[in-house]
Amino acid sequence: MCKIGKFFLKFLGIFFAANALLFVVFFFDLDGKLMFNVVEPFLKKHYDNMPRRDRLQEPYDMDKFPKY
Amino acid sequence: MAKNIKKALKDFWYGKPHTAEEGGRRLGELYEDKTGLLKHREWRGVKDTFYYMYMIWGYNYVHMITDILKYSNNPIDFVKGTWRYRWMGQTYLPVIHWFERGLQGMRGEALAASAWHYRAMVSASIQQICNFFNADTRLHGGKENQAYKTSIYANETTCGTMFYPWMDAGYRYIPMEMIPYFVTCHVNSHTVLNYIDAVQSIGLPGDPCPMCQAEAGIFVLDDVPDSAPFTITCNEACDASVSTSTLQDWFFDKPLFSLPMPMQFDDPLVKKYCMKEIEECWKFIEKQTGVPFNWDSMVKRLERQNKLQRDEWEKWEVAGKTDYYPINGVAQALFRIFSTQYGIQGDFWEEASEKVKKIMYKCVEKKINPFPKTRHRVIAWSCAPLYFSNWCTWAYNCWGLNCIINMDSLMFNMEIRTDSYENMLEDLAQYHMWAPMRRMAVGGMHHIFELWEYMEKFNCDMVAMYDQLQCKGMQGVHGLFEDEFRKRNIKAFWMPHALPDCRTVSRAEIRRQINDYMTTVMHEEPLDPSLLDFDDSMTW
Repeated sequence: MCKIGKFFLKFLGIFFAANALLFVVFFFDLDGKLMFNVVEPFLKKHYDNMPRRDRLQEPYDMDKFPKY
Repeated sequence: MAKNIKKALKDFWYGKPHTAEEGGRRLGELYEDKTGLLKHREWRGVKDTFYYMYMIWGYNYVHMITDILKYSNNPIDFVKGTWRYRWMGQTYLPVIHWFERGLQGMRGEALAASAWHYRAMVSASIQQICNFFNADTRLHGGKENQAYKTSIYANETTCGTMFYPWMDAGYRYIPMEMIPYFVTCHVNSHTVLNYIDAVQSIGLPGDPCPMCQAEAGIFVLDDVPDSAPFTITCNEACDASVSTSTLQDWFFDKPLFSLPMPMQFDDPLVKKYCMKEIEECWKFIEKQTGVPFNWDSMVKRLERQNKLQRDEWEKWEVAGKTDYYPINGVAQALFRIFSTQYGIQGDFWEEASEKVKKIMYKCVEKKINPFPKTRHRVIAWSCAPLYFSNWCTWAYNCWGLNCIINMDSLMFNMEIRTDSYENMLEDLAQYHMWAPMRRMAVGGMHHIFELWEYMEKFNCDMVAMYDQLQCKGMQGVHGLFEDEFRKRNIKAFWMPHALPDCRTVSRAEIRRQINDYMTTVMHEEPLDPSLLDFDDSMTW
């Protein structure tokens, strides 16, 4: 078989394998399961432990107005 | 045996039929218990399954990335923002699942057209997120860059139209809460609970509208990007939001203009007052930016906004008079409320609208009914549960209730004249006063009963009446609606909810209320019994 034919077959093989893999991810909602079971709990933990400013410590200067 | 093979082949090619009698698809069995994740996605037949996979699922994943590259000044900022802000990371990663919930069971033209509305909303959301992060001083070592200097912060119910005059000069309107609050509730209802709890933790009562609570809670938790040098707040649809503005004034601590949204908007004197307030707001922006009001910039975008409105009228004509309208209830409502509030800041609304019109006219020409199992044409009235905005998709799949139109779509039902400054200002004041949840809900006065007129116009035979339990305004008119429903012999069911807070009334409880109505009052059998009762208490 000529080089172009081999390349074409290889290309087709990779194309179909990639699509089959994509279909498995799509059909079995693997992206959703990854987000729900792994990514979201990880991020939640990160956000829960993040140091934040205590906004209540900031004075609310009702009698001081900015220059506008 | 041969019959079974023939049916299996037919199911493979076309997807299983809708109803139980036809050996239906039983969508409720696709869910995993509690999480609402799918054991596997629905097989919609060869054509629709692969359309969904490539043109919705794959297409939107790819375009989410290209949108970031398009709107972000530096994609690294996007990553930094995701790491910094809970509303970003926790919410926007599962966005494709939001499509899934809204589009479940849809086939053919309904699937394609509704997905274009979702696509436009995602694109608009990514633009807003990028606008936040491009300018955020927290992500840029405290520096106030050019993007920061050209951003205008405003409350999410202050319509984007108000800021068109500065857009030719490179200014952008960023609604402070639209992404951190409003859109998150639809995509991932867990996120907003942190903000509601935060505002109650500092001693505020838990009974006002949870929307006002959540919007203030974002500030309490220090989760608002520092992306603009000044802001415009307003009292939104109800006066609980006045307190939100006070907290925003405290925590934002920058020049702030409070733009009122009058309650009794039918009074011509109130309208004049509102016009003056809008002009005061524009003077405030001129002072802050040093850039004068630009009439041409205003007119250019108003013309596009008016065209979008005319497109919508065209679509409503088909929705009201035929069975060929291909947009499902949730895609209709969210697209409309999002586009009218955010305004023209890109071409995503117009692109989606054109694509939908093309699909719609194909349905009209070929007489394709995208919702063939419709038993009742429903109009949804009052404010919807944000955590279960996809209830209409469920209701169609389970009961054949096709939500044709809703109050959210009809609020900004007008064009704004561009022939003179005076006319434009008068119309803009009207537009501003017809704010979300205001025109036909809180403060709507006589307009709450425009329901009957629209019911007739859209040829609906049933009302889905939202019952926001923490909305004092609409709770006050509950009895009036009950009386009118009886007097007019209108079929109507109530849907209790608490806007963003899924803990007060669960999705399962909302479904139970509709199921009860359909069985005890309507004496009907479900199209898909597997959807009657399932546990999705932990779902996004």
